[in-house]
Amino acid sequence: MNSTKPRLQALRDAVNHVQFNRFRFWFQFAAFVLFVYGGYISINLGSHMPFFSCGYNQEGRAGVCYLLPLQHQLGQPWPRLFGMAGIAVLTGFLMFALWFIVLNKGWCGFVCPLGTLQDWLTALRRRIGIRYSTYSQGQFAQLTRVKYLLLALLVLIPLGIGGGLFSHNMSPPFCLICPARMILPMFTGDFSQFTVDFSSKTSMIMTATGVSVMSLFLVGSFVKKRFFCFFCPMSALHYLLSKPALLKLKKDGSKCTRCGDCYNVCDMEIKEIADDVRTANIMTDDCTLCLKCVASCPEKGALQASFAGIPIFVSTEEGFIKRMGKGAHHGK
Amino acid sequence: MENNGKVIPIHAEPYGRSRQAGEAQDVLSHLVEDFEDNPASMQYFYDLFRRVYCHGEEVPHRGMLVGTTCIQAPEELIYAFGATPMRLCNGSYHYDQKGADFMPSKSCSLVKATLGMLSAETQIPKVGKPDMIVNPTTCDQKKKSSAMIGGMGYKVYDLEFPNVKESEASRVYWQRSVRQFAAELRTLTGRKLTRKNLKAAMEKTGRAQAAFRTLHNFRRKSPSLLLGKDAFLVTNAYFFDDIERWTLAVEKLNEELAQREKAGFKAVQSKAPRVLFTGSPPIFPNLKLPLLIEEAGGVVVADETCSANRMLYDMTAVDEWLVNDMVDSLADKYLKPCTCPIFTKNEDRKRRLLALMRDFNADGVVYQAFAGCQVYEMEYRSVAEEFNRMGIPMLYVETDYSPDDKGQLSTRIEAFLESLKNRKKQRA
Amino acid sequence: MLRLKLCVLAMLAALSASSYGEEAPDGARRFGQGGKPSEAQIAEWRTRRAAQNGSESAPAAAAAMPHRHDDMPAAAPAGKPEEAGHGPVWPGGMALGMRGGALWLSDTPPMRGEGGRGGMRASGMAGMEMGGGHGAPVTKRVWLRSGNDPLKSGFAHDDAEAAVESVLVTPRSKPEGEPLPAADGHKGLSFEMPAQGFYRLYLTSRKLQGDTLAVAVAKMEVGNFTHDGDEDEVAAALQAPRALDSAPLEIVRERKQDEKKFFQLKSGDEQAFFVLQKGLPLQGARVRFVSHQGWVKEGVSDEMGRVSFQLVRDYYPPWDEFQKRFKATYLVIAETGSVESGSFNGQPYSGVRYQSTLSGNYYPSPDDYQSYAWGLGIGMGMLMFCGVAVYLYRRRRVKPYREEHFDEQH
Repeated sequence: MNSTKPRLQALRDAVNHVQFNRFRFWFQFAAFVLFVYGGYISINLGSHMPFFSCGYNQEGRAGVCYLLPLQHQLGQPWPRLFGMAGIAVLTGFLMFALWFIVLNKGWCGFVCPLGTLQDWLTALRRRIGIRYSTYSQGQFAQLTRVKYLLLALLVLIPLGIGGGLFSHNMSPPFCLICPARMILPMFTGDFSQFTVDFSSKTSMIMTATGVSVMSLFLVGSFVKKRFFCFFCPMSALHYLLSKPALLKLKKDGSKCTRCGDCYNVCDMEIKEIADDVRTANIMTDDCTLCLKCVASCPEKGALQASFAGIPIFVSTEEGFIKRMGKGAHHGK
Repeated sequence: MENNGKVIPIHAEPYGRSRQAGEAQDVLSHLVEDFEDNPASMQYFYDLFRRVYCHGEEVPHRGMLVGTTCIQAPEELIYAFGATPMRLCNGSYHYDQKGADFMPSKSCSLVKATLGMLSAETQIPKVGKPDMIVNPTTCDQKKKSSAMIGGMGYKVYDLEFPNVKESEASRVYWQRSVRQFAAELRTLTGRKLTRKNLKAAMEKTGRAQAAFRTLHNFRRKSPSLLLGKDAFLVTNAYFFDDIERWTLAVEKLNEELAQREKAGFKAVQSKAPRVLFTGSPPIFPNLKLPLLIEEAGGVVVADETCSANRMLYDMTAVDEWLVNDMVDSLADKYLKPCTCPIFTKNEDRKRRLLALMRDFNADGVVYQAFAGCQVYEMEYRSVAEEFNRMGIPMLYVETDYSPDDKGQLSTRIEAFLESLKNRKKQRA
Repeated sequence: MLRLKLCVLAMLAALSASSYGEEAPDGARRFGQGGKPSEAQIAEWRTRRAAQNGSESAPAAAAAMPHRHDDMPAAAPAGKPEEAGHGPVWPGGMALGMRGGALWLSDTPPMRGEGGRGGMRASGMAGMEMGGGHGAPVTKRVWLRSGNDPLKSGFAHDDAEAAVESVLVTPRSKPEGEPLPAADGHKGLSFEMPAQGFYRLYLTSRKLQGDTLAVAVAKMEVGNFTHDGDEDEVAAALQAPRALDSAPLEIVRERKQDEKKFFQLKSGDEQAFFVLQKGLPLQGARVRFVSHQGWVKEGVSDEMGRVSFQLVRDYYPPWDEFQKRFKATYLVIAETGSVESGSFNGQPYSGVRYQSTLSGNYYPSPDDYQSYAWGLGIGMGMLMFCGVAVYLYRRRRVKPYREEHFDEQH
């Protein structure tokens, strides 16, 4: 027991002092490759992925974003939906919840291919040397609600389709306007989503909107870090389930100096991370659990990521100095 | 005249014979000679102060000289423009008296001493005439001294500083101030702010801060490895010393402390009461209170003052090393963690004090308020209430740069330390 | 710069115009009347056919000409394909040019011919399972129809003189299949599909017509797959043999290398069929391909028994009635004859006429309703608009507190 303890501590130190951005980059890269190309080596993790592993990437996907089957399930005729198929909807949701619980919103910050893509666009902008945009607090307060609106529509429109209120051509409504539908299949050479569908007025409007949103996504995430995540209905759905999740972002307010370093690096501009010294479970609905805040916190133990109650990544002074010093040497 | 009758033989230089040099020499000899086992690497700092304060030697600087009257002026920006920052806050009683011409008699000694120094013919430390003085609009006395400094023929830049730090509006306002300050520096120096020079400047201060943090962490050890009076001297040197030389000296000191730790060295007795120092900043030669505490057998293990901890502790995190991001991050560092009492609320200061009490295993608090420093005087009540609630003993000392109250203070401090010792015993 | 942009826009517009918007006006839907396919297309067909058929180009070229059913000299006297459905009894006309029509199996009953909305599960879900429907095995129902036009063929009527037998080959049955109880009038034939894979139903009818024995084989191939089913089962099904050695005449659709379980034919696709007799390729069989609307093309099987047709687009509804999941039915009829004598039900015959049919479904090609040009155009337009808007916003708008911008380039 005595001999393992220092070794465990050494391991913890190594983790806490890690060059976090580099680690995260490679982790995200691996996850991107897995979920965009995994299908080619017959990886199939099912259709309850709590992130945008787009189902339209038919060839390469290693799993399917849960929003796609969810919308289809909800779009079934009502008698079926409120009958036997309802059970399938519930079991599907349960499967999704089980996946989600493992990484919490860490799926967003570490795995989601669309999130990774935004980080790459950010890196591109940074390389070119163009400053990023921010929202004002007022804009932020408004925009943060959009995802809940999208989530509501994502449930209500398919229900409306199932009830015959809306055209089938609207299904699946969110996917049709989701930038992932167009962008991710592109990575496997599939450009078939890049079309405007003139087969009906509804299809035409939906697909034209989809193409427009995709363009907006490209421009937006180029100038604004994690632009799309503010509006992501998956993120809203996550937040509703985040209580029992295993991966957690915790804050010890008594160790916090409110220096704002975490707020400064936050892609999502979450002010609470710096200013809230009372809440222990500091993950907010916009959070992508990218853990950059933990990496940029100079106060030992003020912020930490824990998995099932075990701290796995804790902020330390040494880690901070190492990372920021490194950062100062890096870049152009 | 104020030398307490103690005449110290010094070099026969014209400045050296002045009252001011005597004051510095007196404090320095107390600092050095009253204690055994001073760390060998402290010699750099003793020598530095002897040369600069007692002998009036010049401190060379690179590029333009930008004086700052407060820690809120972002020194990284000044370095980035190829200029050298110099903290003008002064601790000399001699200048304090001189500065009384400018301010009401019941005003802060620090502000008076600063004004006194700036109006004097010979300015100690002798760094040179600042090309510009940055005056962050923090407390009223500093605000009002702006025009007076301007009246003395200096170029003064008022760096607008918010009074509230919680709101996003003030954050953005301050970021704007800092940007405008950078623009002002650009006009002053005729240079450009680039990614490269700002990054280099941030690395420079970052390294200094890292060295300070290491020193700071050594002070957590109980019994102490280093006395508070030395720590204050180290951070005071940061005001005017060349930052790279200073960093090297601190790193050397850290190495020595690491060896001391290994060797199980004790700078004080194990029972020595550990004191947390807060309030108005001790600035050489006004190290009256820390000296009294440590001469009486206590040890200052940590502080929450703008001449030490608050000046160097908080570090900047940058997400993207682009100029715009770096400047905003710097601005954030100078505002958000600041525990200065000029802000409307002082929750952060109380939390910081409690954290320091806990982390440095302190037994009590000494709260210094310069007579006339209204904000510290006014905050005393809320801080005292917080400590009362937590059952932490605190000594509130209202004083100034005058050595007159030394005897009376010494008695109070001894009594306070005694009570701390007793408490410790009872607990044990 | 501006001119360049205009140029690009103009090009995009031109591109889009060419790729979509050419809905055939009413009355111009038929070949040769200004609709599709073009003269060039037809010429290409001819040459391809000619090339395929080698030296015997003259008759082959004539046969390869696309033609309407009623233009054919050998067609029914009235010349209307719809009348084929009113033929007296099944299996009425077996041979080309006889009254009645071919006997064929369809998964849609007559009068629902105006396009079903099939294929929703497969196309709508982007290949995803939906949950539900995992209970009892699916029952497939097929109807026996007679006629040479998929849209207008009615139910085949019982014919007491004909000897009819049905054989069903399932993924789990013996390769030679199992007999299926005979058809029951309008209710059609039905069978369960418990396993994943292809189910092939052969209905063979034999009847003596004068001194000729008419043998008609109507064939239907049904794929039954689920989204989350056993992968090995699927792989096995895609590899399984697809012909019945005992079939007197059979048409097998050529399957392309990369066909997946939910493969759908789209109009415009080139599709080849093999004509097999007793499991062996049959050269020289006359093969007719009939599109949903009744467009006919004829070919002759080559030495591999292979004959290829383009699934010509024949679905041109007004825009607001267009359904991208419109399920159209094609019908392939192969015929051959032989001089052989024998006896059937005690009656002698001196020749046999074989006919085999295969029907299947195809759907509108995405190219008919999806436009890359528009997608790209809107995307690029939006990209440019947003990019310029953001650029100008950041450049021109002096955001309070952000008047000072620092040059990142130095």
